[in-house]
Amino acid sequence: MSENKLIKNIKSFFASGGIDVPFFAILMAIIVTGLVMLYSATYVYAYYYEDDSAYYFKRQIVWVALGIAVMLVISRINYKKLETLGALVGTGASWLLLGAALLMPEYHGTHRYIYIRPLHLQFQPSDVAKFAIILTLAAILDKCHSVVLSKKPLQNNIARKVNDVVGRPILNDSLKIIIPCGLIIMVYAGLVALGSHLSGTILMLAIGVILLYLGEVRGKWFAIGGVGGLSAIVLAYKLGFLKGYMEERIEAWVNKDFDPLGARWQVNQALYAIGSGGFFGKGLGQSTLKHLYVSEPQNDMIFSIVVEELGFVGATLILLLFALLIWRGVVIGINSPDRYGALVAMGVVFQLGVQVLLNILVATDSIPNTGISLPFFSYGGTAMVVTLAEMGFVLSISRTSKIRRKKQ
Amino acid sequence: MKKASMKSSSLTGFRGVIILILLAGIAFGGCVLRIGYLTLIKGNEYKEKAEEQQLSVSTINASRGTIYDANMNVLAQSASVWLVYINPSKVTEKNRSDVISVLSDTLGVDAAQISRKIDENSDKGYLKIKGEVEYNEKKALSETVREKKLTNVIFIDPDTKRYYPNGSLASTILGFTGTDGNGLYGLENVYDDELTGTNGRIVTAKDGVQFELENAYEVTYEAEQGLSVVLTLNVEIQTILENALETALKETGAKNVYGIVMETKTGAILAVANLPDYDPNEPYDILYPQLTQYFAESGTDAQKADPVAAARIEQWKNKSVADFYYPGSVFKVFVVAGALEEGVITPETSYSCGGTITIGDRTIKDYNPVGHGAETPRTLLVNSCNTFAVYVGQKMGVDLYFKYFQAFGFSEKTGVDLAGESTPLVNVTYHDPAVSFSYSDLASASFGQSIAVTPLQIITGISAVGNGGKLMQPYIVSKLLDSQGNTVAVTSPIVKRQVVSESTASLVSSWMEDVVTEGTGKNAYVSGYHVAGKTGTSEKLGSADDTYIASIACFAPCDDPEVSVVIVIDEPQGANYSGGVIAAPVAGEVIEKTLNYLGVEPSYSDEEVSSMNVSMPEFVGKSVNEANSILEEYSYNVSIVGEGSTVVAQSPEPGRKTPVNGVLVLYTQQNAEKKTAVVPDFAGLTVSQAGRIAVSNNLNIKISGSASSESTVVAYKQDLPSGSEVEAGSVVTVSFRTTTGVHD
Repeated sequence: MSENKLIKNIKSFFASGGIDVPFFAILMAIIVTGLVMLYSATYVYAYYYEDDSAYYFKRQIVWVALGIAVMLVISRINYKKLETLGALVGTGASWLLLGAALLMPEYHGTHRYIYIRPLHLQFQPSDVAKFAIILTLAAILDKCHSVVLSKKPLQNNIARKVNDVVGRPILNDSLKIIIPCGLIIMVYAGLVALGSHLSGTILMLAIGVILLYLGEVRGKWFAIGGVGGLSAIVLAYKLGFLKGYMEERIEAWVNKDFDPLGARWQVNQALYAIGSGGFFGKGLGQSTLKHLYVSEPQNDMIFSIVVEELGFVGATLILLLFALLIWRGVVIGINSPDRYGALVAMGVVFQLGVQVLLNILVATDSIPNTGISLPFFSYGGTAMVVTLAEMGFVLSISRTSKIRRKKQ
Repeated sequence: MKKASMKSSSLTGFRGVIILILLAGIAFGGCVLRIGYLTLIKGNEYKEKAEEQQLSVSTINASRGTIYDANMNVLAQSASVWLVYINPSKVTEKNRSDVISVLSDTLGVDAAQISRKIDENSDKGYLKIKGEVEYNEKKALSETVREKKLTNVIFIDPDTKRYYPNGSLASTILGFTGTDGNGLYGLENVYDDELTGTNGRIVTAKDGVQFELENAYEVTYEAEQGLSVVLTLNVEIQTILENALETALKETGAKNVYGIVMETKTGAILAVANLPDYDPNEPYDILYPQLTQYFAESGTDAQKADPVAAARIEQWKNKSVADFYYPGSVFKVFVVAGALEEGVITPETSYSCGGTITIGDRTIKDYNPVGHGAETPRTLLVNSCNTFAVYVGQKMGVDLYFKYFQAFGFSEKTGVDLAGESTPLVNVTYHDPAVSFSYSDLASASFGQSIAVTPLQIITGISAVGNGGKLMQPYIVSKLLDSQGNTVAVTSPIVKRQVVSESTASLVSSWMEDVVTEGTGKNAYVSGYHVAGKTGTSEKLGSADDTYIASIACFAPCDDPEVSVVIVIDEPQGANYSGGVIAAPVAGEVIEKTLNYLGVEPSYSDEEVSSMNVSMPEFVGKSVNEANSILEEYSYNVSIVGEGSTVVAQSPEPGRKTPVNGVLVLYTQQNAEKKTAVVPDFAGLTVSQAGRIAVSNNLNIKISGSASSESTVVAYKQDLPSGSEVEAGSVVTVSFRTTTGVHD
């Protein structure tokens, strides 16, 4: 009997049921497209700077393989069992890593990397943090869902007075969750911002807001938070926290003739590449702008080479793939048997969506150049493994999802 | 029902997701629209900009044409060289050591120096490392640069350098080019368009760091090479002229000396020199020793700047065509020719010279205060008589005088294709009766004062006399060649006009020959070559001290002239300043060597034959007896050194010209000690005295200059220094001249 219980206990740590095939298929399509485009975009650059045209491609393949292995393992784990652990370990680890990155000497003008020079290894803690923040907020909002919905007035002197003055219980128990959540988001965003990582900061804030929203926090708090956030930004700008680095990028975005060989070089080359693509593109491998014009084509600007080679049609199809992945992730989330799974699944795909969106907006010169990679396309080990781990989580959730059961 | 209950039981409130999905949809849709706008609407604009930056246009430099002399010797030639520079701002910690080692290894530039310069210019985009890099170095460098991937740091640009293989030879004619390869002075400037050609272009696709893309679009527009210029100038004759002028410059201490050698019948210029000159390879260096010394001593760089700049312009100038001078008595040739042509005088016109002539209130003196006595136009020239010349001038009047002044080309440019010919100006360089020409002016003008001409005008005019009265347009470029060597243009001689009749011209020519054989031109005499000439000495007016210009204009042989020569010595120092003394020997030397070089057969008079040197026969290899039998035909002073029976060596060597009664030493033993002789001082000796002294000192003499046996003709120069010990039988060249009866 006890043996049976033990086995059952152990079994409870593993997810059963099949994964969501459409989600997996869309994901694989994106990964393969991303790999092909990475090779196409980087072989000239890699040959010139690394003496090996497959330099980035080979490394990325290794990371993809590792990431898929991690994804498949995670998809087998019963995510429910990770709820508390994930929140604590994730937040603890990512704050430590973000803090450690701030202590590292400056690298490329920022403090966003941790690197071990002798091993030529480097990674961005924010890649880990963006997952950790989802796990943490999802756990809190799930476990304290009733408090979030509570309309019971707060029982302290100040709150009572405020409520009396307003005449309605405006300060209620939900603040007991909203305020800690807000603080957690601020710590994440703050640590990333201190590393001069603007797009990372935006991403943290966006994820936080989306999860709070999905966690049914009431609209008025977003309004108040939004006003507070804006004033904070204005204040930071007035105090000179955004000087230099950011100022130049904003100047480069507003003034299209600004420093064409410096601040605007990268964006201009991206625009030339996109413009050269036309409707059908120049064809795979036919980009000319990748011949050392677009700087670091393996990173943030890879999408411009994609458009140059595959054209408007190819770019739209790739966006469609991402949209489908998000859609499928949302479907998995909505059909999750529990709130935690729903929040994580949707948090993950929306985070992916925000990242894709920011990247494309930068590449098309629609917002200032903040420096953010395109998931599954841009080169980068940590990002790839962490994103695939997130996908593993979604797949794990999909195993218990009710989509399948509905059909039966 | 079931669905709703399930949802409400486990999850609530996901209706909000719809809003997020909607927002995401709008955002993605916005991205698609934005991409559509960029690719479809702005596409062409961006595509053009992209293509613009992807095209690399590199220039193929058209090589500048070559300048050749008449025998296709190279006078000026361009060679391809390369300029190496780096972009210091692209030097990184990573590539720094590579950049420095590549540059220092292949170009031999000091590594520490490059390192320092990189630090000093680290924020700049351009740092010149080395210019005038030759092909092999450039090739090695570009290979290493590619190999080490430094093409975005180290750059190699094509460049050209102009070489003048003969150094300063004919430098004032050739001119030179500037740093960008265009002609700045001289023929380089006059023929700049022809020499330059048109640059070509290569348009290729390139990548972001300036590599050329392989197999990509490439269109080449070939360069059109510059034309080459072939001159009538002859390096050999130019050398003869420059050597003679160089000696004259040193001996007379003059400020400048000019000389021109021209083909009498065509006007083709064979040589032009203006000394002191410069080296076109380094045109900014001042070569004239007196000036370099002066500038070395005087003041700061700032103080020197203006005088140095002036000195440079002075040394670059082709003064033979740019500077006017008073021709002096040389001009009497033209006055006499014009007067004869017009019948103002006849060959028999007689005049009695008393040493002075009065025109109005002005008395003009002759060099000879006693006067030349009874004269004819022939002796006017032979004696260079001023009073008779003034008399003839007055008889002609200003109109006739001016008619011939114009006809001989003195009121206009000659039209030569040399750089910097000055334009004669009325009331400045000459008088025009229509403007202002008094009889007092005419008096001076009759013997070449108060009218100014260029040396080139004088030689052109004198050649007209030698050329049967036909005035030629002087020229120096004979043809233009394209890069394949095909002739593109040829200059043919241009007859400007018949100035005087052939009979007048030949009469005046014969009188000019008398000037050289018996008159003031004696020192230009060359046996066998019938030099016809006229000397001149003019006072430089307006200068404080007595300064003079000594000159001679001549042609030879008189009855069928090959070459004309003008020699002008500007401000000679010392007591000998007259053209007959210092300019005439130079002209004689130039004519003799030039005609020898051109292979013109001399025709000797009987008197000349008797005193002529003969070729030394070959004795080496012959037995002593054989040698003796040959020697019976000669009157050599022979000495035999050694006990052998066969001649093994001789001095002078076979073929050497020696006097018929010269000295010959035969050696019959190998290793026999050479018989030596001490060179005596010939200065002041007459021709016959010098001959005797030479023989008695066991030397052979070669007479240069006037060989006249008159007692006033004395040695003034010898090529072996007196007191030096030489091999017995050596030939010493002794130059003779007279300082008596050659003043004009």
